[in-house]
Amino acid sequence: MDRKKLRNDLFLILGLLLVASISLIVVLSLKKVESNAVAKVYVQNEVVEVIDLSKKEDKDYYIDGLKGKVHIHTHDGAIAVVESNCPHQDCVHMGYVSETNHPIICAYNAVYIVIEGSGNGDVVIG
Amino acid sequence: MSIYDMKFKPIIPLLFIALTSCSAKVSGDRVFCFNCWTNIKLFDGNDTEFEDIKNILKYYDKISDNYSARGTTNNLYQLNKATEVIEVDSKLYDLLHVASEPNISGLGGNYFDYRLGSLSKLWKDSLAEKKILDEEIVENEIIKMQNSALTFGEENKVLKVGQAEIDLGGIVKGYTLDVIKEYLTEKERKSYIIDSGSSSILLGEKQTESGYFNVTINDLDNSYIKVKNGFVSTSGTSRQGVRIGDVTCSHIVNPVTGSVVNNYDAVIVLSDKGYIGDVLSTSMMMATVDEIKDSEQKDNVKVIVIKDKNVIYKSEGIEILHY
Repeated sequence: MDRKKLRNDLFLILGLLLVASISLIVVLSLKKVESNAVAKVYVQNEVVEVIDLSKKEDKDYYIDGLKGKVHIHTHDGAIAVVESNCPHQDCVHMGYVSETNHPIICAYNAVYIVIEGSGNGDVVIG
Repeated sequence: MSIYDMKFKPIIPLLFIALTSCSAKVSGDRVFCFNCWTNIKLFDGNDTEFEDIKNILKYYDKISDNYSARGTTNNLYQLNKATEVIEVDSKLYDLLHVASEPNISGLGGNYFDYRLGSLSKLWKDSLAEKKILDEEIVENEIIKMQNSALTFGEENKVLKVGQAEIDLGGIVKGYTLDVIKEYLTEKERKSYIIDSGSSSILLGEKQTESGYFNVTINDLDNSYIKVKNGFVSTSGTSRQGVRIGDVTCSHIVNPVTGSVVNNYDAVIVLSDKGYIGDVLSTSMMMATVDEIKDSEQKDNVKVIVIKDKNVIYKSEGIEILHY
């Protein structure tokens, strides 16, 4: 058998194995991200804070909203707006949220908090 | 023999391409309208269609705004302030027609009222201070509503009679999703999710063999339903309820009694029309189970009624699955 062809076969097989391994690593790491929820905090459509909820920390964050400070707190893998200067306090009344596609909105301060990465379904109703 | 000599040699680059490009291209973005975020996912659309959908949402948000005047044509705010006949935006004119006569069973007629604007605002302000609205104020507002009406003329002319304010919040999201569905059908698009605040959702077909999307039910633990080519609407107290003493007060105001105490924690409606889903999911929060059963037959919808994290009624054919 031609030694050159054998060598090329070997390179091709090694190359395919390398691609397969890289793909596997990427897929596994993406799955890991999915099981670890993060909360993204937006002000006027810009991400101002990304909070890793998988750490389940008790922690306070103070965000500069459009019309004042918005006090955010994380607890046991969930996130809430605990204090805001908005008139109707809808964001505060939502309490702690831990589900994806279930955003907390403070329209008055243009603050939007969405959890990404831990959902099982395509969309959430309610 | 080397694999280079094999007959299927040409498939090697194709296989490589297939392996490295298996993720579907999805256009996804969101737009703030109707006081919430609407998430748009187009699985088989293009950027132009994406922008068109955002513009439809923004347009209906503008014309149905009852807090401020926006744009060159008269919107809902201006209609509410008007004391004489005014010409409103043509799309608002059509929407007002549907809202004033929703063409659904008696249930929608009894518990949905587009004249709730001022009473809703009063309740919202009162609940923000964790206070129950005074009974006398509620009674006065109900009388105002009963003495108010819209009269439609030609060329988008409308006259609002009476002191009650018009509020389209209970219908506009679903109605706008109907407009978007019409647009996507015209463009022959099949795979999409348009999610308006997790309370009104338009679903096409998922790009799988069955085509069903999994819709997680937030008011139940680890539960979901499978839906394709339809609308899912909900009204509930879990997100917008305010606890005062032993009572959970909702953002949904009963137009007959003026009360904000509802019968259930959530009602989910599956429908072919977005505006019908919106109106019924709100109305059913105040209805008895028998009234709900009657409506689901007449209005051709399917319903899930939830209280205390339990399903107390669901239509035949709905399967609630668990993760």
